[in-house]
Amino acid sequence: MAANETTVKLDRVTKSFGEFTAVSELSLDVRAGRVFGLLGPNGAGKTTTIRMIVNITAPDSGTILLFGRKINPGLQDRIGYLPEERGLYKKMRVADQLRFFAEIKNMRGKQVETKIDDWLARVKLSDWKTKRASELSKGMQQKIQFVTAVIHDPDVLILDEPFSGLDPVNVELMKEIVLDLKRAGKTIIFSTHQMEVAEKICDDICLLNRSRKVFEGSLREIKKSFGRNSVAVRCEGGDGVLDDPALVSKLVRHADEAQALLAPGANAQTLLKRLIDSGAVIGKFEMVEPSLNDIFITKVTEPA
Amino acid sequence: MKKFFTVVKREYIQRVRAKMFIVSTVLLPLVMSLFIAVPAIIVSIKTPPMRVAVVDQTGRMYPQLRQALFGDDSDQDPQNANTGAAGAGARRNLNRFVLEEVNATNDPLDQIRSNLDERLRDRSLEGYLILEPDFFTTGKAEFINRIPGDMFSVQMLQSAINRAAREQRLIDAKVDTKTRQDLLKPVQLQSIKTGTRGQAADTSSTFALVFGIGFVMYLAILMYGQIILGAVIEEKETRIAEILFSSVRPYALMMGKLVGVSLVALTQLTIWGLAFSLLALYGVGVLASQGLPANIPTLPFLHYIYFALFFLLGYFIYGTIYALVGSMVTTAQEGGQLAMPIILILVVSFYLFWPVSRAPDSPFSFWVSMIPFSAPVAMLVRIVTQTPPFWQIALSLLIGFGSVLVIMWIAARIYRVGMLMYGKRASIPEAVRWARQA
Repeated sequence: MAANETTVKLDRVTKSFGEFTAVSELSLDVRAGRVFGLLGPNGAGKTTTIRMIVNITAPDSGTILLFGRKINPGLQDRIGYLPEERGLYKKMRVADQLRFFAEIKNMRGKQVETKIDDWLARVKLSDWKTKRASELSKGMQQKIQFVTAVIHDPDVLILDEPFSGLDPVNVELMKEIVLDLKRAGKTIIFSTHQMEVAEKICDDICLLNRSRKVFEGSLREIKKSFGRNSVAVRCEGGDGVLDDPALVSKLVRHADEAQALLAPGANAQTLLKRLIDSGAVIGKFEMVEPSLNDIFITKVTEPA
Repeated sequence: MKKFFTVVKREYIQRVRAKMFIVSTVLLPLVMSLFIAVPAIIVSIKTPPMRVAVVDQTGRMYPQLRQALFGDDSDQDPQNANTGAAGAGARRNLNRFVLEEVNATNDPLDQIRSNLDERLRDRSLEGYLILEPDFFTTGKAEFINRIPGDMFSVQMLQSAINRAAREQRLIDAKVDTKTRQDLLKPVQLQSIKTGTRGQAADTSSTFALVFGIGFVMYLAILMYGQIILGAVIEEKETRIAEILFSSVRPYALMMGKLVGVSLVALTQLTIWGLAFSLLALYGVGVLASQGLPANIPTLPFLHYIYFALFFLLGYFIYGTIYALVGSMVTTAQEGGQLAMPIILILVVSFYLFWPVSRAPDSPFSFWVSMIPFSAPVAMLVRIVTQTPPFWQIALSLLIGFGSVLVIMWIAARIYRVGMLMYGKRASIPEAVRWARQA
């Protein structure tokens, strides 16, 4: 698959439920072999968009193309979908469960057993193969759910909040697996409202807010376009300087440091000088890229 | 289609493998055979005979009473009388009672009473019967006994006294033996279906068969309806529905669940059916060995096919309603409440057995045998009483199974829309709207 080929294409897609418009005039291009982040706060329309891509609901207007073709039940088998609302058959054994999900995607025969063993080894749950789902811990169930979405070797993988409920060790493990899949040429649509997670694995992003697209493009480019106008500061004293609206338009205090977004026209050098002049003891002063979260907030609050 | 079978396979294997299924499948025939065996064992426990002294002041009753208790009692059930079962009954009485006559002429009654009371106390006697001289006119007798709890024996004794008194009164009225027997001869009524005279079509056992099929259907619906409901809700409760819907059409999923559970039901019913047939064969054998003819009705082979088809229709039509309810609710408890009216319809349609059997050709019978919910029982009754034209049977089946498909289609649509609106139970108008908009 060529690197820039479009796998999933949405063209002016609209979907409403009664009075409520969930997705309005949304156009997207998801390119093959990349991780595409579908981002936005709760209720922005992410899940509805995904459901239209996997053919659970149909759009009211607009078209959705998958591999250049209109979505149909046959194409569904090439998608792996991990919904936000997910679960397992409680009384079914792990292997039976995975076999069922492979067969329901039309994968049959010996390769299913090989896949089951491979994936269980990859998520480090080989010992649990014959256990019932109800005997697994929550985190283990999460990993098995992830495997149900990829067991049939899909070309497109759609993950809706895949890391919620996982401990940091397992988040790392799953992130590695997602990146491996990307390297294997799979297209991955990654939906989340946790910007920090998206920031680490997405190549392209689309920001949704209140059913509309706010921004779409590569993460690199958007960050570059925002420039380095943010400063991470750790200092004692100097509060009056950081609170000066002429210098800092927004200040976010973390546990032991603060992030200051420079006011338009202000300059980091000036800020540093003013801090020193005010007698503050500076432990850290670093120019940083704006976080995706900052970009999102700026974009959403920006007058259209 | 492949995916449909995948759903069926999962549903079937998971359920048949479950411990509950195995336990209940094995346990029911065991419990049933216990129910049959235990009373038989208890009844067969031998108890010592009841020793009864008879103070016969009439002077004519004692021989008659002996005759009625131990001898050839001609006014029992004629079928039994012919096959010698009465002889067996009399033999049983022989073990149950020991009669002795007390001379009532020499001593005064009070003296006799106190003597007998003494014997009751030292347990050489269980009871005594006093027949006073005017017994035949008053019809009153006295039975003093040590074990008033043995009502069974007392009842047998009473009926024997009755028969003896009736016999003696007729003798007193100078009625000769043959006339006596003719007068007391019981009536035999045989119900025969028109047009089949000579073929020995026994309508009562045919009705019993239809009733039995209806009843098994009723039980199967009660047992498996809830399971279908649970199966449909399972994916909602475990939150698997959305993953499945990205892979399989809702209609295939719903049909797969219905068929899967139904195959489980058929498996269990077949196992039970075989177990019961063995028990029944054993029972028939026992009855036959006692000389009782056991009737297995002879019916055209086609009727058995109809039985099977209408049984399946009844099962599926109610099964789909459970699936429909399952598509509307989010938890099994809600489903249980909503499913109550189904039972009501089921019971009502079952009671149609009687009006339809009285007038199988009436317009009423025609219409209820076309309505899918009442058709299974109504049509079966019509088939065994006055077999309707083939087109009516075919039409009834067509409407019935057509309804199953339509209801499942509606249920699938409601299910799909309901899934998109989490945790919300559909009101009926909402369900209608969902079914239309999906």
